[in-house]
Amino acid sequence: MIQPQQPYTGQIFQPTQTFSPTAPQPFYGNSFEDEPPLLEELGINFDHIWQKTLTVLHPLKVADGSIMNETDLAGPMVFCLAFGATLLLAGKIQFGYVYGISAIGCLGMFCLLNLMSMTGVSFGCVASVLGYCLLPMILLSSFAVIFSLQGMIGIILTAGIIGWCSFSASKIFISALAMEGQQLLVAYPCALLYGVFALISVF
Amino acid sequence: MATTATPAGGSRNGTGPEWGGFEENIQGGGSAVIDMENMDDTSGSSFEDMGELHQRLREEEVDADAAAAEEEDGEFLGMKGFKGQLSRQVADQMWQAGKRQASRAFSLYANIDILRPYFDVEPAQVRSRLLESMIPIKMVNFPQKIAGELYGPLMLVFTLVAILLHGMKTSDTIIREGTLMGTAIGTCFGYWLGVSSFIYFLAYLCNAQITMLQMLALLGYGLFGHCIVLLVTYNIHLHALFYLFWLLVGGLSTLRMVAVLVSRTVGPTQRLLLCGTLAALHMLFLLYLHFAYHKVVEGILDTLEGPNIPPMQRVPRDIPAVLPDARPPARVLNTTVKAVEVILQSH
Repeated sequence: MIQPQQPYTGQIFQPTQTFSPTAPQPFYGNSFEDEPPLLEELGINFDHIWQKTLTVLHPLKVADGSIMNETDLAGPMVFCLAFGATLLLAGKIQFGYVYGISAIGCLGMFCLLNLMSMTGVSFGCVASVLGYCLLPMILLSSFAVIFSLQGMIGIILTAGIIGWCSFSASKIFISALAMEGQQLLVAYPCALLYGVFALISVF
Repeated sequence: MATTATPAGGSRNGTGPEWGGFEENIQGGGSAVIDMENMDDTSGSSFEDMGELHQRLREEEVDADAAAAEEEDGEFLGMKGFKGQLSRQVADQMWQAGKRQASRAFSLYANIDILRPYFDVEPAQVRSRLLESMIPIKMVNFPQKIAGELYGPLMLVFTLVAILLHGMKTSDTIIREGTLMGTAIGTCFGYWLGVSSFIYFLAYLCNAQITMLQMLALLGYGLFGHCIVLLVTYNIHLHALFYLFWLLVGGLSTLRMVAVLVSRTVGPTQRLLLCGTLAALHMLFLLYLHFAYHKVVEGILDTLEGPNIPPMQRVPRDIPAVLPDARPPARVLNTTVKAVEVILQSH
């Protein structure tokens, strides 16, 4: 005989409401005003995007570990396109290289971080963080539109931007994955990846 | 009423192994993390045992599924009325069986959790191991300890790739970019994995006490010397400097690896064979990296510029300065702008 595990919480002699016509039904034709806004349906939250951008741009700002809980690929997509556009302004049509290197780089970092962290990490999270931290590289490539980066100033600027990108990326990764004391170990592969992007910008 | 206890999970076809407990672990789909702390032996026998076990289990699954599928095939051939429904069921079951096998094989072989213990390092450990890789230790009577980690070697190989790419790029070979990346990655990873495997095979022949992981780690850290030499000599183009660095820095890292191998091998002939091969390959690789890509640079420069540039001068290709003096100096403006100027002025 099966013992009831939970007490009966319904009301006797009163039919429970199973259909409420005032709840929003997700099919077309019910009412246009009840649909959620387009950006919310797509998952694009401009405030969060702005917050994450600020976290990347202030290298000394402490990163909040929970900002990477939602995987947002809209911002990184915009940044990659902007990077390709600034390269285009310098006369280099290299969208394919940007796409290929970012895909392979994200895959490599995903494998490495899964091996190094106690909790795993999802591919979307890695792609999102690496995409956001590409923002300083856009500054470098826009600088390369007018001035050549092959002199001593170019080398110093490139090294600084690579350091900035990898420092931000490693800062967000270790706060999201709770890997204290391993920031340098995470920053170095990020620096190699952003170094390849810098190679595209410089040469 | 007392019932006889059956062995845990041991009620398979009767040809199953007596280690029933392993089946539960496999079917649970857990990670295959193995505690490597106490494992400093030279044989990977536990891996082989587990591999054989899984292979046998998979074969049994295949046989069982094939038998079930054949039975049902025979059935539905005789019943043409139910053909549609039965064929769908059969197809569905075969798909499920195939998917189960594939996911089991995938979770077993593509389970990178196996490599997880080798990436558990601290920055201070990596730094000290990098420095130690340049210091040969004279103690050869007692097997020297090799750190069995893969983070440092992997990062060093990627650094070598980056340095090679940078060296190829400073020679201004823009058009061949995609091939350059593939060449660099192929060369570096090919050397690391290939020479490690070859030396491991020789070590097996010479009865040396070293595992594949230790060989990979040793050779990986030995690439630190290569990185330093190439970083310096790709930017300062002096042959004499390169030979000096080749002997000093390359020699130090080779000596370190040789000392470790000698401490783990018994017998003079075996030591000579193993260490001679490793030393030759390591030093020649550095020589190859410097001269192969240097020659490419020189070849391209000669064909593009013609005989005007003297052979000892290796500079990036530069567009002749035909700008009037009122404009900003030539090296500040972009190459594109300069090229446009040259084209406009030549018309």
